[in-house]
Amino acid sequence: MNQSLRPLGRTALLLGATLAAAALPALAHHSFAVYDRTQMLTLKGTVKAFQWANPHCVIWVMIQPDAGAAQEWSFETTSPGVLTRSGWTRHSVKPGDRVSVEYHPLHDGSHGGGLNAITLLDTGQKLEANFAAQEKPGLE
Amino acid sequence: MSILYAAREWICAAACAAALGLAPGAWAAPAREPINPPPTAEDYGALAKLPDWSGVWTPDITDQVARERSNRPPWKPAIAKQIEKMYADEQAGRPFEIIDHCFPTGMPSWMLITHNAFEVLFTPGRVTILGEGDGNRMRRIYTDGRGHPADPDPTFHGHSIGHWEGGTLVIDTVAVLPEVYLAVNEAVGVPNDGDMHIVEHLHLKGPDVLEDELEVIANKLLTAPWHTTRRYYRQRARKYDIVEGVCTQGSFIEAKDGQGHDVFEPITFHNNVPVGPSSK
Repeated sequence: MNQSLRPLGRTALLLGATLAAAALPALAHHSFAVYDRTQMLTLKGTVKAFQWANPHCVIWVMIQPDAGAAQEWSFETTSPGVLTRSGWTRHSVKPGDRVSVEYHPLHDGSHGGGLNAITLLDTGQKLEANFAAQEKPGLE
Repeated sequence: MSILYAAREWICAAACAAALGLAPGAWAAPAREPINPPPTAEDYGALAKLPDWSGVWTPDITDQVARERSNRPPWKPAIAKQIEKMYADEQAGRPFEIIDHCFPTGMPSWMLITHNAFEVLFTPGRVTILGEGDGNRMRRIYTDGRGHPADPDPTFHGHSIGHWEGGTLVIDTVAVLPEVYLAVNEAVGVPNDGDMHIVEHLHLKGPDVLEDELEVIANKLLTAPWHTTRRYYRQRARKYDIVEGVCTQGSFIEAKDGQGHDVFEPITFHNNVPVGPSSK
């Protein structure tokens, strides 16, 4: 496996102890109707892990509330293929990155959302996941 | 091309019969299972006369949604009630998960609701459609003149035969597993329950627009055949090249085992909330 994925690999066992608080809505390939598309919210935090895999990539982010312990949130986006065409790579988001996340919240209010865009706060780079931008021929 | 194939298949069968010392009258029926004859340079040359469907085709999802709303399948009343409930659940943020099992989406839903790209390969006697996502998305469409088997094993994509009418590939598909959904989106659809038949006219609508005109005959679900159309756009930029899409990979996370090997650890879920990889 590619060396660049090793940091994620090393975090995996740690994730095992802490993912209970996260709220990925469903296993495997599911409808994005679990997210409230009428709302767009923003949160800032630090990336804990980035899963670059089908059917949907997931970014786990630690969010520090005003009071209390940091919370782990999971933000889900589309597949590696679609993201690649939007300019992402598997290295686009790394553990430790400080990020601002635009997301559609889960209907049930738990700690997760459907990712609309993520901004890397240290560089200002904004990464989006936009199907509609790919609905014409001859794209570059 | 299909006539050549059929002729060579018969000649092979006849030659085999002759070699076995059978009377000429016995040649009319193949003496053994049909074979796929080796393609010739002429067969490969004939491919160049087919329309150019090279590149990668991305679906028009906005159009999918528009057609889903404007052209609903003629559901039988009992099925329509189930579909209504699914739309209500979807609206309420409780989508019925049609494809979360990670099986292939299957036919015809792949062509109807996909969010992922596909490519089309022409080889002698066959058109192959390779998709991206949900694991084994692949359609083999035989264009060598064969018919459907008498009793095909049902599969997710069914058994497909095709022929060319000008620049249009006409595809006839049967033997789709009854459990495969006839879905109009990722949260609304029902199992086809068997005996579904799909006829497609796949053709270029414009220089870089591929259109699939589908007729879905699903007598267990529909009061009449359902006709609908889906559209895909050609991409040539290499970043659009098809990537591997193994659906179940998303259920695992990369980890190290006790010996330091790179392994996949399952992310386990409780009430749809991940509780992390199983402990070792």
